[in-house]
Amino acid sequence: MTAEGGPGPARSLYLHIPFCTQRCHYCDFAIQVGGPDLQGRYLQALLEELRWLGEARVAAPLESVFLGGGTPSLLRPELLERLLQAVVAGFRLAPQAEVTIEANPEGVTSERVRLWRGLGINRVSLGVQSLDDSTLSWLGRSHDAGQAERALAALRQGGMAALSCDLIYAVPGQDAATFERGLRRVLEFQPEHVSCYELTVEPGTPLARGVASGRSQSPQVEAFLEQRRLAVAVLGEAGLRRYEVSNYARPGCESRHNLVYWQGGAYLAAGSGAHGFLGPIEAAGLGFEGKGVALRYWHFRNAASYARSVADGSLGVRGHEWLTPEDLALERLACGLRLTTGVELQTPAQWRTAAHLQGLGLLEVAGGRVRATSNGVDVLDRLTLELAAV
Amino acid sequence: MPSHSPRHIRNFSIIAHIDHGKSTLADRLLEITGTVSARDMTEQVLDTMDLERERGITIKAQAVRMPYHAEDGQDYELNLIDTPGHVDFAYEVSRALAACEGALLVVDASQGIEAQTLANVYKALELGLEIVPIINKIDLPQSEPEQVAQEIEAVIGIAAADCLLVSARTGEGVDRVLEAIVTRLPAPKGDPEATLRALIFDCKYDSYRGVVVYVRLLDGSLRSGTQIRMMAAQKTFAVDEVGVFRPGMEAVAELRAGEVGYLIASIRNVRDSKVGDTITEVGRAEPLPVPGYRQASPMVWAGLFPIDSNDYQDLKEALERLQLNDAALAFEPESSLALGFGFRCGFLGLLHMEIVQERLEREFDLELITTAPSVAYRVQLRDGHTAEIDNPDQLPEPGLVDFIEEPRVKLEVVLPKQFLGGIMELCQERRGEFVHLEYQPGDRALLTYDLPLGEIIHDFYDQLKSRSRGYASMDYQLAGYRREQLVKLDILVAGAKVDALSAIVHREQAANQGRKLVQRLRQVIPRQLFEVALQAAIGGKVIARETVPALRKDVLAKCYGGDITRKRKLLEKQREGKQRMKRVGSVEIPQEAFMAVLSLDR
Repeated sequence: MTAEGGPGPARSLYLHIPFCTQRCHYCDFAIQVGGPDLQGRYLQALLEELRWLGEARVAAPLESVFLGGGTPSLLRPELLERLLQAVVAGFRLAPQAEVTIEANPEGVTSERVRLWRGLGINRVSLGVQSLDDSTLSWLGRSHDAGQAERALAALRQGGMAALSCDLIYAVPGQDAATFERGLRRVLEFQPEHVSCYELTVEPGTPLARGVASGRSQSPQVEAFLEQRRLAVAVLGEAGLRRYEVSNYARPGCESRHNLVYWQGGAYLAAGSGAHGFLGPIEAAGLGFEGKGVALRYWHFRNAASYARSVADGSLGVRGHEWLTPEDLALERLACGLRLTTGVELQTPAQWRTAAHLQGLGLLEVAGGRVRATSNGVDVLDRLTLELAAV
Repeated sequence: MPSHSPRHIRNFSIIAHIDHGKSTLADRLLEITGTVSARDMTEQVLDTMDLERERGITIKAQAVRMPYHAEDGQDYELNLIDTPGHVDFAYEVSRALAACEGALLVVDASQGIEAQTLANVYKALELGLEIVPIINKIDLPQSEPEQVAQEIEAVIGIAAADCLLVSARTGEGVDRVLEAIVTRLPAPKGDPEATLRALIFDCKYDSYRGVVVYVRLLDGSLRSGTQIRMMAAQKTFAVDEVGVFRPGMEAVAELRAGEVGYLIASIRNVRDSKVGDTITEVGRAEPLPVPGYRQASPMVWAGLFPIDSNDYQDLKEALERLQLNDAALAFEPESSLALGFGFRCGFLGLLHMEIVQERLEREFDLELITTAPSVAYRVQLRDGHTAEIDNPDQLPEPGLVDFIEEPRVKLEVVLPKQFLGGIMELCQERRGEFVHLEYQPGDRALLTYDLPLGEIIHDFYDQLKSRSRGYASMDYQLAGYRREQLVKLDILVAGAKVDALSAIVHREQAANQGRKLVQRLRQVIPRQLFEVALQAAIGGKVIARETVPALRKDVLAKCYGGDITRKRKLLEKQREGKQRMKRVGSVEIPQEAFMAVLSLDR
């Protein structure tokens, strides 16, 4: 892959299942609360989009499928079955394909785990977020710590091959000790993968309104730095290496699907709010007009609008943009620096900037590539801009 | 229309304080005389620049000829010369007044006379103009026309009974204004057969026709083909066209003594058509020039630098273009270690500077860093030479300097008595010296102070307004130089002196100002990837230090699934913010920092 060249054919597929039982205070994702009756109609639209995508696309089998949300674990078993059958039928799966489902603790039972395994799902990303009840309720989550622990146990006892846990830190009111206790408790279940996200106040969320009105405290930089250091140390001790800003894994257990995003690979996407990324040939094959080195496209965020758009024959696609080589270079830099594998630099000026940043202890240079140091990751967006400006 | 005899000409100007209704009255006069049809009527017809309409001020003078059929049955030609209204443009006002025989003094019936208005009235009286006082806004419930008329009588000496009561907004009384122009203002004198003698009261640059010169003929006549000579500029030209404003430019065969109009003569540079200069004709004995000519000279100086150094040439061309139409704008190349290549520009005042800066950014799409404006100091060197220093960084080493002189002004403030305490305090804070206090009719006082020009160029006017709840008004003029204990305050950013941040301050205030300046800079310089030391130094000795701590966190936790577009847009937005700053060494400094020295609390 060169700096100018777009991605090759897509070998990954993202499917969005927007349903949730409630909206968490910090969430600004494309979700739909309640309405089990909408599930059937939504799935019909999703299957229609998949059928069309499968027909339009002639390429090798998929290496990864990711069912994200929303809360895909809320999907009724028979609907989930039809969905996965459609994926296999329309796209084929490579023998060792990674198939991930996002789940919330309250939806995980031994029975569900058995069903998922039967459908070929080999990885579960569990939204634990915290194992402290008061933190969970501050975040507006619908489960408690006990439910989370039972879900973790069910996944392990049910023989799920790969387990990833999402945790949130730097939550106001949750001190470092509480965060560390939760982290260590999660590690007792020996997850292969942990995603540790700092709490981010996204505009338009109930949390943002709370912060603006003074009802909620905003996250503090000190707590972020302390708890981030804790996460790196505690997870590292347990053999989970930080490989991306917020992601940790046992060697070989990194999320293959997410690595495609960060490494600039192509991926298909279907469902409300889902974003896809394609090379120019594949994009043209799907009927996108225009020119560029690569194409990003996205769907209607509202599930009903999405379904209407599919019914109209426009596949739920809300918009797209063709990338210029400069856009692509900026994205590659921004995403590549998030990974511990780092990026290759293109120009002598970039190398001069890199040397300056290395002198500040923010970048490391190794094997012709640069990567952020642990301190550098904390100011990664600024590092990216420094390197992008030249 | 045939040329009128001087008997049927009236040349007048309108003197008014901002917001007292000058533009509205002018609009009414244009409407009633049919000069501008109701269809073409826009607010502030005479203010043609976007900036003028936005800010509600007049920057360039304008002239318009209005036909008027008077009650005596005769047809008159009324020439209204509209003048700039800001304290920065006082000289231009005096030249526009010199082109008239009379002036309408417009006073708000609820506000009374303001200092700046009064200053212009005195100027008009000095030039021998006849004044017709007009009390405007009589339709407002809080108006007190009788009291204002008494005040006018007391202050200017025009009988209260001679004041016209008008509402320009409703049109009430405006017909009597037109009659008063004809009956109370004198007709121009002058001999059409004598040698040409014309006053330039303004000019504008037209990219197709060159300079359009606004003239008032005192003697003689002008027509296409006349060989003219600019007496101060010492240039000669052949006239291509003469005309009048109705209100658009309209060519006529001839302009004669007493008339107001324009001439076009293939003049490529406004500097050859200086406001206040006298035009005469080649080949006849030179008449006496119109008195009062003065070279427009800048009062404040600032550096203008392109943020992107590749824009230097564009900036140069843009300044040249603006200068075509702005004889008071001066500039010369300047280079700064910190900011690279740019221009040292001279302005009449801060409003003038803001206008130029805004036009450069708006009309020429340039992104600029402007350094803090400075006045010009006179530096007496030990070797006997004198240097004029308008850039603090150019101040010679203390060892070479014998002494430094600072420009001073005579400031006049008119204000209600109750605010005297606060305003005198303000003047003292700004190193002012009390000169005189005079109580005036009603509740007013005229306060005179002598103070350094450098102390009033920035926010003095705003402070004056805020400490008098808007009631005080001011006017000032240069009043010589005075030797002062002045020193150069240097600012070091990350150990390196940033020349563009240097300031000249009074020795007694230096330590305090230095401390405050670095504190202020600490607030406006954003965190960088490393700790940045800020130091204030005098003569190499550090007197204050602050630190901008290193940035600790700037990373997005989540890449939002596959939505990389969002991530890229966020980065692009941050990058735009970065590009508005100037990189000095490895530190990024925003525009605000270069103005920080102006916003120190005293």
